[in-house]
Amino acid sequence: MSLYAPVIGLIIIAALFAVGSVVVSTVVGPKRYNRARLDSYECGVEPTPQPVGGGRFPIKYYLTAMTFIIFDIEIIFLYPWAVRFDQLGVFGFLAMVTFIVLISVPFVYEWRRGGLDWD
Amino acid sequence: MSPTPYLVLSVILFTIGGAGVLLRRNALVAFMSVELMLNAANLAFVAFARMHGNLDGQIVAFFVMVVAAAEVVVGLAIIVTIFRTRRSASVDDASLLKL
Amino acid sequence: MTAPTLEYAELAPLITVFGAAVIGVLIEAFVPRRARHTVQVVLALLALVASLVQVIALAGTEVVAAVGAVVIDGPALFLQGTILVLSIISIAFFAERKLEAGGDAFAPAASSLPGSDEERVLVRERRLQTEIYPLMLFAVAGMMLFPAANDLLIMFIALEVLSLPLYLMCGMARRRRLLSHEAALKYFLLGAFSSAVFLFGSAFVYGFAGSLRFSEISTALTTEIGKEGLLLSGVGLMAVGLLFKVGAVPFHAWTPDVYQGAPTPVTAFMAACTKLAAFGAMVRLFYVAFGGVRSDWQPMLWAVAIATMVVGAVVALTQTDIKRMLAYSSIAHAGFVLTALVAADQTATAAILFYLATYGIATLGAFAVVTLVRDSGGEATHLSKWAGLGKRSPIVAGTFALFLLAFAGIPMTSGFVGKLSVFAAAIDGGATPLVIVGVLASAVAAFFYVRVIVLMFFSAPAEEGPTVAVPSVWTTVGISLGAAATLLLGLVPGPLLDLAQQAAVFVR
Repeated sequence: MSLYAPVIGLIIIAALFAVGSVVVSTVVGPKRYNRARLDSYECGVEPTPQPVGGGRFPIKYYLTAMTFIIFDIEIIFLYPWAVRFDQLGVFGFLAMVTFIVLISVPFVYEWRRGGLDWD
Repeated sequence: MSPTPYLVLSVILFTIGGAGVLLRRNALVAFMSVELMLNAANLAFVAFARMHGNLDGQIVAFFVMVVAAAEVVVGLAIIVTIFRTRRSASVDDASLLKL
Repeated sequence: MTAPTLEYAELAPLITVFGAAVIGVLIEAFVPRRARHTVQVVLALLALVASLVQVIALAGTEVVAAVGAVVIDGPALFLQGTILVLSIISIAFFAERKLEAGGDAFAPAASSLPGSDEERVLVRERRLQTEIYPLMLFAVAGMMLFPAANDLLIMFIALEVLSLPLYLMCGMARRRRLLSHEAALKYFLLGAFSSAVFLFGSAFVYGFAGSLRFSEISTALTTEIGKEGLLLSGVGLMAVGLLFKVGAVPFHAWTPDVYQGAPTPVTAFMAACTKLAAFGAMVRLFYVAFGGVRSDWQPMLWAVAIATMVVGAVVALTQTDIKRMLAYSSIAHAGFVLTALVAADQTATAAILFYLATYGIATLGAFAVVTLVRDSGGEATHLSKWAGLGKRSPIVAGTFALFLLAFAGIPMTSGFVGKLSVFAAAIDGGATPLVIVGVLASAVAAFFYVRVIVLMFFSAPAEEGPTVAVPSVWTTVGISLGAAATLLLGLVPGPLLDLAQQAAVFVR
């Protein structure tokens, strides 16, 4: 049983973190209700009865897709490293830190240039 | 393990992708076909890695995924810019540069 | 498991340029807009010069670095040094701000719609495009890595790192933006297609050899029997990818459109540097990895070389746009380099290195002169507008004529020595028929170069013809350096030839 203790502990921590984040964001965050917030999808796709002339995708949709890709790439390399992290040692760790710093550079760029502002 | 079935599949995917780039008129579809070609190459790499019993091919597959993602960003940026100006993503409409 | 080691001293030139590119992105994020242009130009220049100094300090090094993935040897260092010199001159053309009333040759913001209010506001505010400098540094870093790659994976990564920024840079012209966007789209779709073909080919080569390293592929050529099908299809597909990048026939269709549509400083940069990097990578791949099966790939390159020289020279005759004409001329030049590549020995490598250096300098200079001849619509690239330019501005027309003579391979210019050495190498390698085709193609090519010179000096100036703009010191120095090098390497080619000869040994 003690073998499973860390796993159960991790599950509890994860659950607390998830619930905690949701609760904190509703308590602390500003409350605004507008048409965009109440739409079925937030990522720019209109629900099926579309306006005449075909629905258009806002440009922001692509921006979000591109942001996703930054993290997508990060995970591809983090995962194999995490599997063998103890054997890769200091070199592996430093390489990963360098990689994450480099990966965060485009993210910082996007944030500073307003890519994360929705409007 | 015989890699042949995987290779056949990979060649088929590559051919579909190649035909897509050359035949389809929509820049987005042509671009998706290029991604299909990259994934066909990935399949071949992974199959060969299994055949040779080393990991080089799998590492290549990781890097190719990253390159494909970077290509998506660059490609979408170019295609979206063109689409915004011309309201069309057809390769045939982009034909100011003919001789 | 032992940790791998990296040879930081030998990789320093690459790391400098990559690092500067990343810093360039951060500058875009944090430095106030007004200071950005200056900071970016200074950073790019400093990084390129520092990297060049490091390359020179490494001269004579022969090291297999990064656990066998990268080789720092003669050809790699020679090409890295040449690419750096050409990029430093390119920065001068990129930063030119006296030719366009509102700024430089690039759109203030690539994302603003052509003809929109947003664009007009940005132009009125004299906003400058600064993102092009980090993009250029990334492209230069990729170009430096490409001929040093000793591994199929690194080669593919370098190919993409050099290509992706170029696709974007092509779409950033300030004038004729629709043409520029279209060039970017075409270059991107065809470039991505050809890299996918290259990648599929390397998958086959990996399947054949069981390794990505060139040295081990070369060993596998003798030990792996009965899998030639895999090898040959792999070699063929990889060749397609590389021949696309150098713009060889039948994979040249993108060249004229992209060269015409891209902003001229970018055209100059990519025409000179991409060709250098791609030929460097091609020579290493074919000599080091596939040298053992040269009898299998030589016939293919024979055919491609002949087609490239003939199509490049003949189609250039029919062009009416100066940028398209230079594009076809660059195709023909790719054919001349291929004649030496077929010979596959040390003399050939030296000849190719020398030829690429001289071609790169002359190309950079020629495109820079194109940016000077302007009328109300921007650059006047139609050939008819160049009539009588020699009477209006003898210096500019004379410089352009010098570059054209170098392209044509007239004695006393660098192009002559270059052409002589590639043809001599090809004859040594037993490719005499190729050389005959090459000489004939040169004669055809010489005809259209001379036709432009005649047009400039001996025909009446057009009514409302273009004016020759006075550039800033930057461009003047850049063009003068190009012209001086073209003339000097024609008169005293010895030192550079010796250097190329010494550098032409591949480390396996």
